[in-house]
Order: sequence, then C-alpha cells, then structure tokens
Amino acid sequence: NVESLLRPARAAPTCLLVPVRTKRRFSVPNWNREQSLEEKEKKLRTLKAVAPEEHVERTFYLACTAAIIDPYVPPEGDARLTSLSKEGLKQKVEKFKQSAVSQLALRKLKDHDPNFSTKTFPEKAQEIFTEAHNCLANFNKQKLHSLVTERCYSEMVRGNRYKTIRWSFVESLEPPRVVHVRCDSMVNRGNLYGQVTVRMHTRQTLAIYDRFGRLMYGGEQVPKDVLEYVVFERHLVNPYGTWRMHGKIVPEWAPPKDPIVKTVMIPGPTLNPSQEFEEIK
Amino acid sequence: TSLEKLGKWERKNRIVYPPQLPGEPRRPAEIYHCRREIKYSKDKMWYLAKLIKGMSIDQALAQLEFNDKKGAKVIKEVLLEAQEMAVRNHNVEFKSNLYIAESLTGKGHYVKQIRYHGKGMFGIMKIVRCHYFVKLVEGPPPPPEPLKTGFDQAKEYVQQLRNRTITNTL
Repeated sequence: NVESLLRPARAAPTCLLVPVRTKRRFSVPNWNREQSLEEKEKKLRTLKAVAPEEHVERTFYLACTAAIIDPYVPPEGDARLTSLSKEGLKQKVEKFKQSAVSQLALRKLKDHDPNFSTKTFPEKAQEIFTEAHNCLANFNKQKLHSLVTERCYSEMVRGNRYKTIRWSFVESLEPPRVVHVRCDSMVNRGNLYGQVTVRMHTRQTLAIYDRFGRLMYGGEQVPKDVLEYVVFERHLVNPYGTWRMHGKIVPEWAPPKDPIVKTVMIPGPTLNPSQEFEEIK
Repeated sequence: TSLEKLGKWERKNRIVYPPQLPGEPRRPAEIYHCRREIKYSKDKMWYLAKLIKGMSIDQALAQLEFNDKKGAKVIKEVLLEAQEMAVRNHNVEFKSNLYIAESLTGKGHYVKQIRYHGKGMFGIMKIVRCHYFVKLVEGPPPPPEPLKTGFDQAKEYVQQLRNRTITNTL
C-alpha cells in the first residue's frame, strides 16, 4: 500500500478501446456490374440453351408473283412509226392475235373469270394506273396497296419517304391495248396467277421535290410523252382477287431519261501517293 | 430504327418542307447528326465543339485531324458520317459546300463506381459519357462578325444617352 514513485496513486486509465479496422468493403455485386455487349450476349446465349424456343409454324400467303413471267419484248420503233406507213400497219396487225401461248393463257383466264375481255380491260387498266399514281403522290398507302401488287409497291415507294411527288395525267395519245397475256402457277400446280401487259401511250407531268422543297427532277408544267408497257396481275383462284398493277417493261431502245438537276460525283480509282491520275488514264 | 427510341435530334432529320414556289430563294439543306454515349467528358468535348462551330467542313476536318485530344477523332468520324449522309440521302450537291451551324455536347449516362484509396478510404468514381450533336447547313460559311471596337461602344453609349426622354416636358 505504500505509494512509490514508480506507482503513483493516480486514477488508472480506463480500458482504451482501440478500434480494429474491420470496415465492410463495398463492391458492386457480380450480377449487377457493367458488362460489355459481348458478355451480355454470352449470358443470353447460355440462357437460351436452357429454354429452347419452340418452332412455331407460320403460314404465309402469296398474293403476287415475284417477277414478270415471260416478259413481253416490244418491237423496235414501236411509237416512232405512224399507222399510215406499211410497217406501221404490219405492227398494227397485232402479233398478239397470232401468238399461241397468249391465246392459251387468255382461254385459261376466261375460264376463271368469264367477264374478262380484251376490249374493255385496257380502259380499266388505265384507270387503275392513274389512280395508283395519284395515291403515290398523296401517300395514300392503304388504297395504293389495293391497286398495286406488293412487288410493284416496293419498287414505287423506295426512296420516296421524305420527298414530295407531284404527278398528273394530261391525256392519252393512243387508246391502250392488250399486248401480251401469260398465266402461271406458283408453289402448287393449281395456284394460278394471270398477267396481262397493256401498251399505253400517254402524256404525263412529273415533278419530284426533295426534303427541303427544292426541285429534283422534272417540271410541273412540262408534259412528257410516255410509251409504257404496264403489266397487271390477278390471283385467279381467289374469287375476290382484283387486277392490280404489277410492273413495267422498259424496252432497251427506249429514249434515255432526263438528267437530274444536281451534279453527282463518280469516285475515280484509288491512287498511291506517287501516282498521278493522268498516268493511269 | 423504329424499335429504339429516337432522340429529338435524330427526329429533326425527318421533317419535310412543302415544295418551294419558283420565285422563292433556294432553301439551304440542313442535316442533323449525333453520336450518343461517347466515352469522354462533356466539358472536355465542349472545347472541341466550340473550336469547330462556324467553320466550313473541310477546315473543321483539317483542324480535328491534327488535334491531340481523344474527342477529336470521334468528332471527325461523326462529321464524315454526316457528310456522307448529306450527299446520299439529303440531296446535297457538293460535299464541301457545307458548314457547321451548331455543334453541341450533352451529358450521357453516368455510372458510379468505387475507387479504393489507402487506409480503408474510398471515393465514388463517375464513369463519364457524353453525346455530341452537329448540324450541317449547305452553303459557304457565314463571315465572322466584326469585333466591337471602342469607338462602336462609345457611339452606342452616346445613342443611349440621346434616346432618354424627360417626362412631362415639351
């Protein structure tokens, strides 16, 4: 009990709490961390093997053929010769009457559709033609689908989405006439589609404006004479099928179209730094 | 493109103007292009965007090619894409006849992560991304505005003094 120097009677310090550094480390859990596209795809692929997708049979319906069957080859100089000269008369005495395949096809058509006649059809065809182009100018897609087959629709509408088209039909220079008839079946033997080519010589105006309202092609007050061979198609076996525009035949001897307003750059050959363009030429 | 949600800048490319009458001056073509979620800071990208604004496209491409920043490469790609789009889809005649009317940066999605320091300390790190928007307009670049001289400022000041009206007088 004697107090000594070495042990002074001072209040003893209470137990010193030394905190141990056991702080919980936070880390992003593995299932939530950021993964690149490839890792994500890998994970999805592994999950796919566990639950394989069942192959559901889907029926599809062919409403039109993919191409023009046996395209009509228009005789050269069709619109150049008048009907008064000898050669014009020869063309007028239509080879259509003589070609056997067309006659057979025509007979098959009349079996399925007794109201069909080569005399009344061209007028209807021209009406369908004008209606379809008007729908294209007004972007009336529903009506256009009913007047034009799917193949023709994609060809007509491609590249037109952000453009304004103005088309008008001035007059018809010659009465349209049927020139070529073909009948064919797709996939199954009895599934008949009939195609009829109509020759039209008309006057039309066309003006295409781009996204900003600037004229790209043609002119609104400039009528042009156009000789066309338009193909119409109908699904004969379907009782509610209608005649729809299927495509156009452009002959090789047709005059070239007008150039577009803007200048287009055609890329030349890629040169090495040491070469010159004139040397290669 | 219909499945992803289109941003406002991408939709600006879809407006169609009505056809111009023959007497009107030709409307210059405007092409909007952007790139989203570039791995770069929006503040650092802003310096490059401000550099380019108002230049012709050739000059802008030249400046970016010899700039050392990481964003310069990305912006150059974006400009080349936009030029290509303009010539092909938007009926622009000459690819050099474009100038940069607007160039903007925007903040992309940030992801927070932990950056470990010593002694159990940590910091919250942000993975920073940005968007870059550019608007090209057809035509020669507009001439730069003349700088305001002291004389002009003095003239304006005097004009302001002269414009004052004293109420209830003749």
